[in-house]
Amino acid sequence: MSNVTDILRIDGLKTRFFTDNGQVNAVEDLDVRIEDGEVFGIVGESGSGKSVMALSIIDLIERPGRITDGEIWFRAPDIADELVETDAVDGDYVDLRAMSPEQRGLLRGSRFSMIFQDPMSSFNPSITVGEQIAEAVEAQRRARSNPRSLDAKSQHYGLTDYLLGGVLSSKRYVSEPSLDRAIELLELVGIPDPAERAEEYPHEYSGGMLQRAMIAQALAGEPDVLIADEPTTALDVTIQAQVLDLLAELQTETGMTILLITHNLGVVARMCDRVGVMYAGEIVERGTLGDVFDNPVHPYTQGLLGSIPDLQGVAERLQPIEGNVPSLLDHEMPDRCYFADRCPKAMEECLEHPPELAVNDRGQHATRCYLAETEYTAAKALPTDYFGATEAPAEADTAPEEPTATDGGDHQ
Amino acid sequence: MGLGKFLIKRTIQGVIVIWGVVTITFFLRFLTPGDPVSALTPPDAGPEVRERMAENLGLNDPIHIQYADYITDLLMLDLGTSMRTGRSASIMILARLPATLELALAATIISMIIAIPLGVISARRRHQKSDYAATMFSLLGISTPNFWLGIMLIILVAVVVGPIPTGGRDVSFWEATVMLFLEANPRGFGNWAIHIFLPAITLGTYFTALLTRLTRSGMLEELGKTYVEATRAKGLPETLVLYKHVLRNTLIPIITVLGLQLGTLIGGAVITEEVFSWPGIGSFLIQQIAYRDWVLIQGILIVIGVGFVVINIIVDAMYAKLNPKVVTE
Repeated sequence: MSNVTDILRIDGLKTRFFTDNGQVNAVEDLDVRIEDGEVFGIVGESGSGKSVMALSIIDLIERPGRITDGEIWFRAPDIADELVETDAVDGDYVDLRAMSPEQRGLLRGSRFSMIFQDPMSSFNPSITVGEQIAEAVEAQRRARSNPRSLDAKSQHYGLTDYLLGGVLSSKRYVSEPSLDRAIELLELVGIPDPAERAEEYPHEYSGGMLQRAMIAQALAGEPDVLIADEPTTALDVTIQAQVLDLLAELQTETGMTILLITHNLGVVARMCDRVGVMYAGEIVERGTLGDVFDNPVHPYTQGLLGSIPDLQGVAERLQPIEGNVPSLLDHEMPDRCYFADRCPKAMEECLEHPPELAVNDRGQHATRCYLAETEYTAAKALPTDYFGATEAPAEADTAPEEPTATDGGDHQ
Repeated sequence: MGLGKFLIKRTIQGVIVIWGVVTITFFLRFLTPGDPVSALTPPDAGPEVRERMAENLGLNDPIHIQYADYITDLLMLDLGTSMRTGRSASIMILARLPATLELALAATIISMIIAIPLGVISARRRHQKSDYAATMFSLLGISTPNFWLGIMLIILVAVVVGPIPTGGRDVSFWEATVMLFLEANPRGFGNWAIHIFLPAITLGTYFTALLTRLTRSGMLEELGKTYVEATRAKGLPETLVLYKHVLRNTLIPIITVLGLQLGTLIGGAVITEEVFSWPGIGSFLIQQIAYRDWVLIQGILIVIGVGFVVINIIVDAMYAKLNPKVVTE
């Protein structure tokens, strides 16, 4: 708790989904610190738990998923003052997990907001864009007008009000000033003729315009942290650059923190101050952009960087990472390093799950890999067919739950 | 394309459908057994009496002349003269129409009041007791034949509750409203409500069950969409997420079903009207079939057809209002 500039500290976060096929450990023991005002990138393949992590922060994990463990400390002195003397407070920080669902709900929009991958499906198709943005403005306006009351956003506008709103304009949820503000926001994100565009429906927008509108909506509550979950993936390349520029520009203007989730390393290189690489629900390597991109330690990070084409260099064959994203089913997750079966440098140590190890003394660059401390030597290397060979017989003969745990024991 | 243009297009389509209905009902008469002349003249009538009867009814003209006459009369809203009573068919049917409309609307409104909240609760508490109860209820509702339900309600209510009328209709909704506002007498209204209650429940049960299921599955589908997550993420109260966003979008397809169903209720109230002696056009149709009064039968079928088309145009207009894509595409 030394670094006061952190806005968000996540400790040991575990988010699990209890499905019919078994327990899925989507986010496993995740620790991360995000500094105030930075752009923090989370990189990883599909299914590495990036989006679940984001939804965990904003408290939108739905059944059958649940955050089962961990702490999410968020820097908010004003809330800390209100909740003082409870377990949820530590100095200027509040633990989101220890707050009531109503209290957490109040942070959505005002402290955290989120933009999603596909703008077309993230807007309600049957309500005008202006009205939807105005809703976001209105929600924050109403919350601010009564900050003491934690239920300000819900109890004062119930079903009866909504039904009456159909008849009486005074009972409508969205007020005129909010609609005007929505138009201003649309102008801010560079939408031409914002007053007319506000009257249009999502299907009348292009993808890039709609993503701009979604950014406008996310800015409505002047959030401290903007979570951008693959904000450019659904857009074509020229539009991607424009949207990223817009985000960078807005970040400079407002000083908000951006948590940028992407699988696109180019986007990370362009936007981020620091990066965390996610694999199988945990952050396997983190550090400044320079640390991670120029001096990657974890073979997975090296593999990711090796799979980008280099336009300047000699056209070599790209190096894909062998194998597939691992299963996140609890009973299929081994006790070893989750990457060991795909790792070209797997060693005997790797049969034990690695803790996070510092790469250098500066304290920023860390990785969940023994290579941070030991050199790779061919003598300790696991045989190349180690996992391929054990998989079939181990699953057939011994208990299928922990095939590698018993094997690991033999080797030690 | 604006809403006005959209409605004009729908209306033209509706007119074509009505013309089809009229034509089919007109020619249907020549395909069905039973000759109106035999039905109307005494069995011992001589050929000249029968001939004059046929002449009076216009049955001796070639078919295309009869058809043209019929269409011309219809355009002047004249459904002809009842073969049996000699009275205007339009007036006779019009007198019966309010009862049917009241019953269909009452059944629809009761259904909506019960089904939509039930479907919402069911979807929100998926796989919990209240969901199972609602699902069970809708399964029962869908599989209960309404003639049986009507008779059971009559027996049960007559025995258990006592003096609730189990048939007929003393005052119309219009009369009850006039009594309420001009004479400040709510009794007429009570009388109307107590008479319509059982037939409306009977007629509406199937629809309630259907609507509950549609609402439940529609809500579940909508709740899984990304925009719901996005709407929550921006901090909107859950009430608005559920009703303004999710339920509203759920209702878009349901409106269509609602319209089709209301059309069916107008024509399909035949059995319920018969069971409860409800003086609407359904029970009237059964009587006229027994009399082979073709003018009235045709008239009733055309009125039902027109009702169906008009309701569908109204539904399309509502649909266009709720779903902006319909109008712009």
